[in-house]
Amino acid sequence: MDNDRVLRFGGAARFAHWGHTVTFLVLLFTGLILFTPALNFLAPVFGGYVNASLVHKIMAVFFTIIPLIALAMNFKGFIEWWKDVFSFGKDDIKFLMKFPLEFFGFNVEIPPQSKFNGGEKMNSVVTTTACVFLALSGYVMWFKDAFPLVVVQWAYPIHGLCMLIATCMVCMHAYLGSFHPGSGESFWGMWKGTVRSDWAAHHHGKWYDDVTKS
Amino acid sequence: MDKRMVFVDTSLCTGCKACSVACKAWNDLPAEKTQLITSYQSQGGTTHNTWTYISMHEKYENGKMEWLMFKHQCYHCAEPSCMKSCPVDAYYKTDSGYVLIDQDKCIGCGYCVVNCPWNVPKTNPEIKKTFKCTGCIDRVENGLLPACVATCQPGALHFGEPEEMKQIAQARLAEVKKDNPKAQLYGDKAMGGTTYLYLLLEDPEFYGLPENPTTSASLIAWKDWVQPWGIWLLPIALGASAVSFVSTRVIKNMSKSKGGDIHG
Repeated sequence: MDNDRVLRFGGAARFAHWGHTVTFLVLLFTGLILFTPALNFLAPVFGGYVNASLVHKIMAVFFTIIPLIALAMNFKGFIEWWKDVFSFGKDDIKFLMKFPLEFFGFNVEIPPQSKFNGGEKMNSVVTTTACVFLALSGYVMWFKDAFPLVVVQWAYPIHGLCMLIATCMVCMHAYLGSFHPGSGESFWGMWKGTVRSDWAAHHHGKWYDDVTKS
Repeated sequence: MDKRMVFVDTSLCTGCKACSVACKAWNDLPAEKTQLITSYQSQGGTTHNTWTYISMHEKYENGKMEWLMFKHQCYHCAEPSCMKSCPVDAYYKTDSGYVLIDQDKCIGCGYCVVNCPWNVPKTNPEIKKTFKCTGCIDRVENGLLPACVATCQPGALHFGEPEEMKQIAQARLAEVKKDNPKAQLYGDKAMGGTTYLYLLLEDPEFYGLPENPTTSASLIAWKDWVQPWGIWLLPIALGASAVSFVSTRVIKNMSKSKGGDIHG
């Protein structure tokens, strides 16, 4: 049993995930330069303001295209992801209530979770919404002549706020997917695509049952 | 230098545009190809090479037409939105009340352009620098009048100490109000009080000006809330992860004897 592995994420999901990881981080560090004067020192890292802004724009295009390509690669997978995210029930609420204890290392009983646990569902909604608004407000700022002044003015605080929310989620997500002892195997789910069966049964009981039954 | 003020008496302006020319001459700004906006007005707004211009407004009353003039340039606000929006601290204010751009720091991002209530600063896209009226700070600090004031023939522009300017303005307001009931002062209540104080013969809207210019809600949301408070989301996320990194391992060690662990 220990050697058995189950497929958790297909090629499209992994492409979108790692593509967005790289583009998000480059966008973050090129963007932070203008977020506050305290971070202006980042500009020389990218060869000055003009180059940083060019890198930001190029990455923004990839940031937009990558999820669209993934969508075309596996639209069914995308629908399944969101179906699961919005099947938010009692067990997800229990997860969210108990998770803070689990996060800091206490042993807690958590009811069986579907493919995405309550926290992952929250992350899906919050990060995706933030990314959509980041892209929309970003294009408004880029092509400001094409939009009414008031829309352009609001694009700045919206871009900043969504950046902060997304970055906060990314920090937590990166830690949980790597150095948190409770979720180590989930990294391989997104890297190799498969996870250990016993880990899947323990962390995502409902999903594991569905996968093994079919 | 103590605070200074320019009083723009639009009731005396004849629309000769000499101020615009004097500005270009002193600041070494090239002429631009222009086209007629209305019958005599050739400039539609400030540009990175045109820091002051006259807009001409036709007023019709009892079958008679009258020109109302308005001189546009930077207002040099006490609470400038441009300065608040600048991401590289290129804007600064002098004791004399002038709002200036440090061209070495400016990166031409255009944040100030969209946040000025009068749409005054403009970016030169080729060199990525933003320009606007400097109030002729280089002349003023050396005891000269600003170029536009020095050249104004009908005496529509006055330069001096704020109290003196306000007295002249009040006296002129009382005078023109006899024939122009809508006459009013403009600028003293805007953006913390502007360095350029105006006497208008009509409502601000007649000249296409915002009646009550204020710092926009979006700029307040951005600079007073999102930026100083929202940034705390990042240290909180990183701090919680760091605490968890240690606490999970400490707790795991303490309960090691309790048997197998499915995690990892």
